Amino acid sequence: MGARSINEWFMREVLPLEPMLTGFLQRNRCSAAEVADLSQETFARVYEAAQREQPVLVKAFLFQIARNLIIDHLRRQSVVSLETMADFDWINLPDDKPSSERHAAARQELRLLQSALDELPPRCRQIVMMQRVEGLSQKEIAQQLGISVETVQTQVAKGMRLLAQALGGRRASVTTEARRHNFLKRRRDAR
Amino acid sequence: MRAEEIDELASIWLAREQGGLTSEEQCALEDWLAESSRNMVAYLRLRAAWERAGRLAVLRAPMRPAPRPKSPWAILRIPAFAAIVLALFYGGNAYLESGRRHDVIYSTQIGQTRAYQLPDGTRMDLNTNARVRADVTRTERVVTLESGEAFFDVTHDARHPFIVHAGNRRITDLGTKFSVFLDGDNVRVLVLEGLVRVETQPGAVGPAPVTAEAGHLVIAQDSKSLVFTKPDSEVARELSWRNGMLTFDQSPLTEVAREFNRYNARHIVVEGNARKIRIGGTFKADNVDAFVLLLRQGFGVSVKNQGDKIVVSR
Repeated sequence: MGARSINEWFMREVLPLEPMLTGFLQRNRCSAAEVADLSQETFARVYEAAQREQPVLVKAFLFQIARNLIIDHLRRQSVVSLETMADFDWINLPDDKPSSERHAAARQELRLLQSALDELPPRCRQIVMMQRVEGLSQKEIAQQLGISVETVQTQVAKGMRLLAQALGGRRASVTTEARRHNFLKRRRDAR
Repeated sequence: MRAEEIDELASIWLAREQGGLTSEEQCALEDWLAESSRNMVAYLRLRAAWERAGRLAVLRAPMRPAPRPKSPWAILRIPAFAAIVLALFYGGNAYLESGRRHDVIYSTQIGQTRAYQLPDGTRMDLNTNARVRADVTRTERVVTLESGEAFFDVTHDARHPFIVHAGNRRITDLGTKFSVFLDGDNVRVLVLEGLVRVETQPGAVGPAPVTAEAGHLVIAQDSKSLVFTKPDSEVARELSWRNGMLTFDQSPLTEVAREFNRYNARHIVVEGNARKIRIGGTFKADNVDAFVLLLRQGFGVSVKNQGDKIVVSR
């Protein structure tokens, strides 16, 4: 498979699994930074494997890698507790569903995109809208807003990161943080 | 390096790429991507998100461009001179555009296929016996398929969606490749690349809009829209007419005849057991005689020429 078709395959078959992977990592009590790190490493390993041979059962393959990475990660931590290992979410590995279910229905997709966009900071959102939805060039945006092209690019870059985060299910959600806090507290109390 | 730092670098590269890279910058980007798989996946992940965000433009407001966010302080920062020039420029154009209709008719004879370039750069291939009315200007891109089949390779313009009316359906797209075929009462939409939306005409009662992506065939009937997923080979086969060829894969002879008859004034009529013959292969659409000769030699059918009919039987 050529580099180009690997990229296309990766975007089509692997990246849509991100929300599921995020959920899996969060259920295993990874912090936001750990989620970012472990999912990037997982993706990188899937990508490297595909350069040798394209995996057939993509989802199973990806979660196998993620699982091994979590175990390594836990082992490296000096304060690894047996409890954490026991709590590890072995059972709720996402199962292989037909790929059609992965593609969100159009309306659902629309809602998802809209809410991702709505969550951007106002300035960033305005510039993302102008470039992506209205199709203005960065020069035109800079001119209309009276700012430099570099500033437009900084905002676009930030917008991309935030959009990818929202679409990948990586919201720094209060509930996840709260769950993590409660879990740590329970563990302390138990000792 | 931490994932977040890589993401940041990747996003800056992508943002600069959106603005256009020089060839040296392009090389530097390629070097950076080749440096590590983590760089590559970070880049692809952000690019996928950015491309998905572009779908909002199609899905959200198919009929008119999104309103430009107006910020009161922004306009003050533009020098007054530039503002006046801009106002004259936009105002002047709007005045010029509003006074005209730009309907242009494109059509093909039986057996003819032809490629056209529309004013917005979109390429339109018309299949046999087709007729299209197009109103393509800088502010609007609307074409009506009045008969036959057309393939569109649409020029990307997020502000002005490309709209095809066919029968009782409206097909909206943004920078993509697809064909539309008015087949009797059915409207068939086949997507080669990108994303299109198929819905009933505004105000009409009918099935909910469907969104089709590459490899999808939508068959829109009066009361329903059916979506099928087609393998790449079949999509290519269905679009082989663009090279003047007809391609079949174990299709019944009746269906093959129906295809040939779209391109030729003399029609093949299949009778008796010959209906059961299955055909695979690629044929020139306008050379019905060569095809019939092959049938006679290969399948031992009898062929009778009756005026503008070629009767094939076995």
